[in-house]
Amino acid sequence: MTAPVLEVDGLTVRYGPGCTECDPRTSESSRCTSCGTVWACRDVSFEVGPGEVLGIVGESGSGKSTVLACANLDIAPLSGRVRIDGADVTHVRGSERRRLRAERLGIVYQTPAQGLDLELTVGGNIASRMLAAGVREYAALRERAGDLVKETELPEDRLDAVTESFSGGMQQRVHVAKALATRPPIVMLDEPTSGLDVSVQARLLDLLRRIQRETELAMVLVSHDLGVIRMLADRLLVMRHGRIVERGLTDQLLNDPHHPYTQLLVSSQLA
Amino acid sequence: MSLRDLLPESHAAAGYAFAYMDEASKREVRRALVKAVCIPGHQIPFASREMPVARGWGSGGLQVTLSTLVPEDTVKVIDQGADDSMNAIAIRELVRATTQVKVTTDAREATLIQTRHRIPEDDLHEGQVLVFQVPIADPLRIVDARPSVTRRLHADRDYAPVWLYLYEDLAQVGHSSFTHSHPVEVEGGYVMSPTPIPRHDVERLDGAPFLSLFGAGREATVYAVPPYTRVRPLAFSDRPFERERMPSPCAMCGATDTYLVEDDEFEGGRWICSDTDHCRRSREEAR
Repeated sequence: MTAPVLEVDGLTVRYGPGCTECDPRTSESSRCTSCGTVWACRDVSFEVGPGEVLGIVGESGSGKSTVLACANLDIAPLSGRVRIDGADVTHVRGSERRRLRAERLGIVYQTPAQGLDLELTVGGNIASRMLAAGVREYAALRERAGDLVKETELPEDRLDAVTESFSGGMQQRVHVAKALATRPPIVMLDEPTSGLDVSVQARLLDLLRRIQRETELAMVLVSHDLGVIRMLADRLLVMRHGRIVERGLTDQLLNDPHHPYTQLLVSSQLA
Repeated sequence: MSLRDLLPESHAAAGYAFAYMDEASKREVRRALVKAVCIPGHQIPFASREMPVARGWGSGGLQVTLSTLVPEDTVKVIDQGADDSMNAIAIRELVRATTQVKVTTDAREATLIQTRHRIPEDDLHEGQVLVFQVPIADPLRIVDARPSVTRRLHADRDYAPVWLYLYEDLAQVGHSSFTHSHPVEVEGGYVMSPTPIPRHDVERLDGAPFLSLFGAGREATVYAVPPYTRVRPLAFSDRPFERERMPSPCAMCGATDTYLVEDDEFEGGRWICSDTDHCRRSREEAR
């Protein structure tokens, strides 16, 4: 097997002071009844290989976003490691983190406003990542931004339009284009389609799938929409109360769920 | 007992200590300046005092000037290149009255030049000090108004937001919108705002033999460019930094290589040198 792009090993994140009563290893709930500390992720480990799409599902508060925040180096875990291309980057901060993020990691959030500056032009949003990665040639920025606008099926003549003037679905495409700007080997998607209406969702999913196949992009896809997961994810993690309760190949896992929570999740899905 | 009795005889006439400010305040400014010179382009906070000019009218430059002056200095003060504007006259008179140093309008003779908007056209030499009056010290102000954020960006040398600003200018307007204070990178490190000097003057800071001190009174910040320091305006590799193009030679002295301003008092308007003393000398030499 080729070396993983992203490795997460024994990740544990705590919100709160913790106490002697806290028992993150064995307790059912992620919240300590004695001190109120929330153990948002408990000993979470996984790997994502080149070109592989890993889905993470789980109910609200199960720790999905916390895992993503650690992988995106937004927060440092209490314990555990995050490795990108084999290098331990768990506690990387400042300019090193900025460079790493610009060159190696892309992220797409649920709402475009989280990941874009809506007052900038489409080209500016895309260029910002390349500028962070140290590109100082105007023509190179224009060319890449132009290509990405085409790639993400945005109107090419609106490259210099202010992002705010676009519809929500189009803004989410700009968000995807921005994430891809520096050709990172891995992109993280946090509910990328949840804020969109169904027809727009379908187009964005098609787009993501096409780009993923064409560029052999690795992805971590967090979603509570099993349809999205089924369509994109090769492998799947199911999280609950901060723990991974089940993992496997997406089709197998969704067709034959073992853990009671996964069974509930699958059976709750509308036909 | 009056203040005059307490002061040394030489300063009693003015009613103030040498150079108006008290010694402790001047030392505080000098201490900040030493730090600023040691870390070129880095903004150093200092305890900005009330000055007899309003903040925003050169109070920062004035504090730097008064704190660094010695009795042997010769001072020139300009505002927009002119020695005879109200602000320049007021500041020069204050400096002269409280220090009795020599004053001049000839940039070549001055040891210290307090300026707003311009670097004199003359080739300045080693040993001269330029003191700039700074309205907005932080070049990152345009991308985020919070000092807590911009300090972090400076610490990380994260200047991508400024580059993004330049990108947006080119994409939307076709050229840089910085008519003055075009951000510069100092000695490959900090990005600095060369306070409102026109593009014409920005590159003249690069490797300059003189010492540049920048004082922002309202923002309580000083920074500096020591002599022979590399100063590069930020510009994309394929879109080089350009100076303003002058519409005509100077209507008074005929110079084609100086920075011109519009003379709207002249009927029909005309373009003349912004550096009035340099222009006057050129005309006298031609005669």
